[in-house]
Formats: sequence, C-alpha cells, structure tokens
Amino acid sequence: MLQGAIAGLAIGGVYAIIAVCMTLMAQLVRVINFAQAGIGMFGAFLAASLAQSLRMPVPVGLLIGLVTGIALSVLIGLITQRWLPEASVSARSAVTVGALLLLVSLSFILFGTRPMTFAPIVSGTAFAVGGVVVSQVTIVMVALAALVSGGAWLLLAKTTVGTKLRAIADRPVAAELIGIPVTSLTIGVWAASGLIVTVVVMIVAPTQTSDATSLSMLVIPASAAALLGAFKRLGLALVGGLLLGVIQGAVSQLPELMLVRDWIPLVLIVLFLLWNQRKEVWDAAR
Amino acid sequence: MPRASHPVTDAVPVAPAPRPALRGPSRVWVPAAVGVAGILVGVVVSLVLPSSLTFLAITSVIAMISLIGLGIVTGTAGMIVLSQLTFAAVGAWIVAWFNQIGVPGGFLLHLVVGALAAGAAGLLLGLPALRLRGVNLAVVTLGFAAAADLTLGKTQFPGTAAGLRIPRPAPFADDRGYFVLAVVVLVAVAVTVHYLQRSRLGSSWRAVAFSERGTAAVGSDVRTAKLTAFAVSAMIAGVAGGLIAGQVGTPQATSFTTLQSLALYVLSIVSGAHLIEMAVFGGILWVLIPELLKRFGVPQDWGFVIFGVLGIQALTTGSNLGQDIRGAIAKRRRRRSPAPESGLVPFTDAELGALGSVSVSHGEPVLELQDVSVSFGHVKALQHVDLVLRAGEIRGLIGPNGAGKSTLVDAVSGFLPQHDGAVSLAGSPLAGLAPDRRARLGLRRTFQQDRVPPSLTVGDYVRFVAHGGASEAEIASALEFFGCPPASARIADVDVGTRRVVEVAANLLAKPRVLVLDEPAAGLSHDEHIAFGQRLRRIPERFAAAVLIIEHDLDLVRAVCHSATVLNFGEVLATGTVDEVLANPEVSKAYMGEAELL
Repeated sequence: MLQGAIAGLAIGGVYAIIAVCMTLMAQLVRVINFAQAGIGMFGAFLAASLAQSLRMPVPVGLLIGLVTGIALSVLIGLITQRWLPEASVSARSAVTVGALLLLVSLSFILFGTRPMTFAPIVSGTAFAVGGVVVSQVTIVMVALAALVSGGAWLLLAKTTVGTKLRAIADRPVAAELIGIPVTSLTIGVWAASGLIVTVVVMIVAPTQTSDATSLSMLVIPASAAALLGAFKRLGLALVGGLLLGVIQGAVSQLPELMLVRDWIPLVLIVLFLLWNQRKEVWDAAR
Repeated sequence: MPRASHPVTDAVPVAPAPRPALRGPSRVWVPAAVGVAGILVGVVVSLVLPSSLTFLAITSVIAMISLIGLGIVTGTAGMIVLSQLTFAAVGAWIVAWFNQIGVPGGFLLHLVVGALAAGAAGLLLGLPALRLRGVNLAVVTLGFAAAADLTLGKTQFPGTAAGLRIPRPAPFADDRGYFVLAVVVLVAVAVTVHYLQRSRLGSSWRAVAFSERGTAAVGSDVRTAKLTAFAVSAMIAGVAGGLIAGQVGTPQATSFTTLQSLALYVLSIVSGAHLIEMAVFGGILWVLIPELLKRFGVPQDWGFVIFGVLGIQALTTGSNLGQDIRGAIAKRRRRRSPAPESGLVPFTDAELGALGSVSVSHGEPVLELQDVSVSFGHVKALQHVDLVLRAGEIRGLIGPNGAGKSTLVDAVSGFLPQHDGAVSLAGSPLAGLAPDRRARLGLRRTFQQDRVPPSLTVGDYVRFVAHGGASEAEIASALEFFGCPPASARIADVDVGTRRVVEVAANLLAKPRVLVLDEPAAGLSHDEHIAFGQRLRRIPERFAAAVLIIEHDLDLVRAVCHSATVLNFGEVLATGTVDEVLANPEVSKAYMGEAELL
C-alpha cells in the first residue's frame, strides 16, 4: 500500500503540474484547455520519433519537441484570442476539444497508434527507506510540481508582470486601455504552459503506458485536481493532483480494485463538486 | 386621460393587418409523412446500393441516430457532453449481455432495454448537471467517457471473448435488411424527437440553455428540463449502440472510444445536429470523409484531423452549417415577403373611445408581504417591508437605485429562499416554495434583463410561458393588443425592448393572479413608452391580474399605477396613492438628495 502510494506520487506530481497549468490558463486566459496534455504528448512523441526514426541526437529531438509544444500552445492561444476574445469560457474551451481531437489523430498518422518507447530522461532509484523505494522520477516530479506552483504564485503575487496578468484576467479591455500589452502577455501564458506541460510529459512518458490517447487523457485527472481548487486556487490544485496520484497508487496495489481505479478521479470530482457547488442553484447571480 | 394622451395621427381606426395563421393542427401530420417517405427512400437505397457499401451505409445511419441524440443536449439544451458513445456502449453492452445469458424476447426487445439502461445512465450523469455548468460539466462527461473507455478495454463486451455473435432479427438478417431496419429506427427516433422539440419539453430545453432563472420564473422545473434532455439524449445513444452491436455481431471496445465521442461532439457542432436534417447530413459526413480519404489513398485518421479543423472553425465563428442554411433560407423568404410592420403604437382617440374608460376596482388582497427582510452578509438589502397588493390593483414600486426593489421581487418570486418574514399569495403562504411552483400558483414575474430565449419563435415562447392556459385565439389577441411581432417571428430577430413586451404579454396569457414587472419599459422608445402604458393600465380588467411594477419613469408610474410604495435603503419610505406618495417631501429628498445641496 505505502509503496504504491509513494509510487503514485510521481504521477500525482504530473497531475498537479498540469492542474496548476490549467488553473493558470483558466484564470489568466479564460480557457479550460482540454488539449493541455495533448500538446505535451505531441511534443514528446515528436522528440522520441525524431530520435528513433531519423537517428537525431536525443537532446536535439527533445529541443525540437519542446519548441513544437510551445508553438502548438501558442497557435491555439492565437486562435482563441483572435476569434473569440469576448466569448464565454465554455465557448473558448470547446475550441480546445477540437484541438485535442486534431492532435491525437494527427499523432496517430505521424507516429502510429502503438505506444512509443521513450529514452528515459530521469530514471533509477533515488533512495529507499525501510523497504519503500522512492524513484528519481518521483522526486523530480514532486519538486517540479512545487516549483511550478510556487513560481506561478510568486510571479502573480510579487512581480509587476504578475499584476499586469491579473489585470488582464479581470478586465481585459480596461487593461488594454491602460497600456498593458494584452496580446503578447496572453500569448506568453500560452507559451509557458505549453513549455511546462511538454517537459512534464517528456519526463513521465517513459514510465507510463505511452500511447497518444492515454497521455492526452492525463488532462482528466489533472482537471479533477484543478476542479478541487475550482480552477482558481493554485495550492488546492497542487494538493489535489498529488492526493489523486497517491490514492490511485495505493488502490492499484489491490488487484480486486483494478476496475475501480479508473473511476476514482471521476467519482472524486463529482462528489466534491456536488458538495462545493451545492449553493449554486442558479446559473446567474440575479 | 391626464398624461397618456398623444397627438392624433389618424382619426380613422385602422384595422390591424391580417396576421399569418398560427401553426395549426393541419400540419401536424407532415413530419410523419416525411418519415414514411424516408423509410421508402431507405428501402430504395437498400436495393440500389452496391453490397460493398451497404455496411458503411448502416454505420452512417447509426451515426445519424447518435447525432440526433447528441443534438438535444449540445444543440438544444446547450450543455457540453463528451460521452455520447459511452452511452451507446451501455446499449451495446446490454444487447450483448442479454444475448449471452439468453434473455428471451429477441434483438429488438434487447435494443429497447439497452436504450432504457442508457437513458438511466444518462439520468445518473445528468445529476451533476443540476449544479455544474459549462466547462465543469464537460470535464465530468469527459471523465466519464475516459473511465468507461478504460474499463471496457479491460472487461470487453459480454460474450466477445467467447466469440459469441449477436444474431440479427429474422427479416433483417442480411446487410440490406439490417440497413432497412436501421432506417426504420432512425425515422422513428427522428419523428419522435421532432415532436419533442416542438413540445413544451423541447421549449423548456431551449429556455434552460438560455437562462435557468427565466425558465423557473415561467413555471418550468429546471431540473426536469436538464435531466430529460440528458436522459432522452442518452437513450437515443443507447439505441445507436444496440444497433452497432447487431451490425458487427461482436461489439468491440474500440468502437466506443473517448476519441470517437469527441469527434462526434465536434461533428454535432459543425453540422448543427439539433436540426434533424443536419444530423442526417452529419451522419453522411461521418462515413463519407474517411471513405473519400481512403479512395484517394490518404490514411483514414486524417478524417478526425479534418473534423478537428472543421470543429475549430465552427466553434470560433460560432456558426454551424444547419444554422447558416436555415438563416439563408429565412433571409430569402423575408426578402420576398417582408415581415409585417408590427409595433407598439399609442392608441388613437377613436380606438380609445372604442375601448371605453378604464374601470378601477380593488378587491381582496392577493399578495401580502409581512415584515420581509433580506440580508447579504452585513448588507441589509431589505428591512421589515410590509406590502399589500389587492385584486385589480396596479401598484408602483419605486425608489432610487440600490433601494432593494429587485431584491424584493426576487424574494417574492422565490429566488431568495432565505429571506425573513412571510409572503402569501391569495391568503396561502409561499414559504419554502421554489420559483416554478410559485409561478404555477399564479405569481408571475418578468426580469430586468433579457430572459427571453432567442432560439424560440414568439408563438412557441408564448405557448411555453402560458403553460397551456391560453387558446390560440387568446394568444393572437394578446399579441395584437401589445403590438408584438407575429407568432411566427423568431425572437432572435426582435429587438430587446420588444422582447420584454412579449415577455409581459406571454406571462399575462398564463392568467396569473399577480404579475410583478421589473422595469418592463426599459429599452422602449418614447412613443412605445406611452403606448405600453396605455396597455398596462388595462391589464386588471382585460387579464384579471393585479400588477406590481418597478419603474423609474415617474410619468409612466403616474399614468399607470393606482398606488405606490417607495423603498429607500431597503425600507418602506412611503406608501399610498401615487399622488400622495409623489407629493411626499421625504420621497423627493430620497430621489434628489437634500434640498440644501441643490
């Protein structure tokens, strides 16, 4: 159980990072990005396939993959920013459903439908305490999760850029009127989230079932975690992601609960939201 | 007639232009006839189609069925549902399982049970939709699809491992026969959904997509509307899933993946699948695009890439094929026969003479507020408000901005259940009753914001609001009285001020005891203001409703109201006849500030 829970911490870190990215996007650019993990998947697949089929050196492949991840994210950002600047969060987010479909099917065409083998970037055991093994991936993921959410918090709360970003989030038109470069900052957010998520998927892909669909669907437990913080609170998104990973890891040690494991994120989100939103009887405040 | 008089433009009363006939019972059979024709076309197609294409044609028809179902939740009721093929998998699973354990009744019965099971699953997943909206709901449905996908991948369908085939029913055993069966099912589903869309239930789906508060305020239960949309949609998906099971014999988890659900959602957006003909078109695209790609030697996965691009295009422009085509047709029709000049114009003196003078008589109290208080945190929005509205009375509720007028309306109509004090309608207390219950008991309200769903026609909206309480003749006469556009006009084509007049007329047709109007004249021109006032004055005698009206325009209040209550900072400042209240120096102080400051 404990070993499983510790092992789950690695994937929990992934959930947490993607959840933090999704929370930032929801707040700063008003999009729930369903293609968030899909972008990372595409970058990671491109990197692996460049290294394998074109015999490119691994670091070069990774670099190209990263740039592609950023570019894809920016492209989606430009589309929503250009055509749906004033639309509702739902309408803007629905576009990313189309993007997710596009990315997954494009990766089927380019890289095939089979799981891909990745050269591990981080591997091996970090240390073992009393028979419980902690892998390096776990350490890296948890550290990265803390770094991303802590960094995001510092950026937003303590820097001028953060203040500008929050101004854009609250009143985009007013922010533009007082001279904040809305478009470039918005695109910057998209680029940063594309970068972070591609790095994370690249690190975690070698330890996972790594087909395009399951990597892209990392977005589901991640959004479950982000929903814990109502797509508003970074801290809760972080905690939610780690917790979800730990629970799933612990449960996966019990073979009789094999089928239950996949339903945990869904059941948790639904129960939590029903409790949390119990007062949201109406769609509008008045 | 003190203030509501106006220059006479035309002494001869003009007969109102004849209105287009309301949709009568004569056209009810048309969809059924189209359905029969559809089946005949299906039979012909099954005979002429090369056998190599028959299997694909079945796939296409099944996709049409799924899309019709999806159109109800995503198109009509406006919710993002990304798990349509999971509901289909439930239907397929039941059909496969019943076949494995040998449940009697045969394929068709299994299909029906599968549909019911899928409907139940839809109902279950619809429960979160009562609190979750928009993207949150999309996340939940996507999670449902992904979890079911993983589970199905592990368990597979019952009997699949043993290679057990699901037999098709007797006359439809070969592909051609099964195609005809699929077409018959498609027609049955399409005709049923067509009638549902035109029914009250269909109107409630459209209304809930636009505004939940607006839906509840006209006496429709928001929960019922949402859950039925989910259940009907899932049930139709279950039919499609059962048909897939019969089509392939041994259903595979790979036919029901999350990715395909996403593609189906995108396709429903691209085509505009809430319109049945567009769902049919979408079903054709579903097989045509991959098939064409195959013909040109392009891998079929490009099909979903194309769907993705089309989807992004449709979502960013907010348009879909069905809407575009219908819009173009409507535009052409309008150009050929321009809409009749409808409008709210003041009565001529001759018309006023024909209508006679307004009789005012007050009866028993119909609406009583005793000691009503509302606080939001530390803000006391209303404090110890007493108010009585008698039968036949038109009472103005006035006061400066922020005085608590709209809060009072919310408390009375049931949107603020936590208020203190008592509200009673015709002597019976309303405590604890939801807004839709209050509306059905005869307490109606309108909104300061536009809460009239633009996707309905004026006639459909009025019928929906009136709750079956008004005859077609009454509807036509009330619309004419208020100078509303004809019943066939689309609300989307009507300006916002006029929409609110339609809202007032529609609520009156529900024959309420009390109608509460929240700034009904906002957005009307000066002439329309006068004309609207003339109509409002006649509400008690014409519609037998007492009226409580919030209004900032004191001219309108003087012209229309018998009495007035003034709120200031949440408290009743004055109450009495309109003249008394407006002469009260405290009232002018509340409106204008202290005299010294002027």
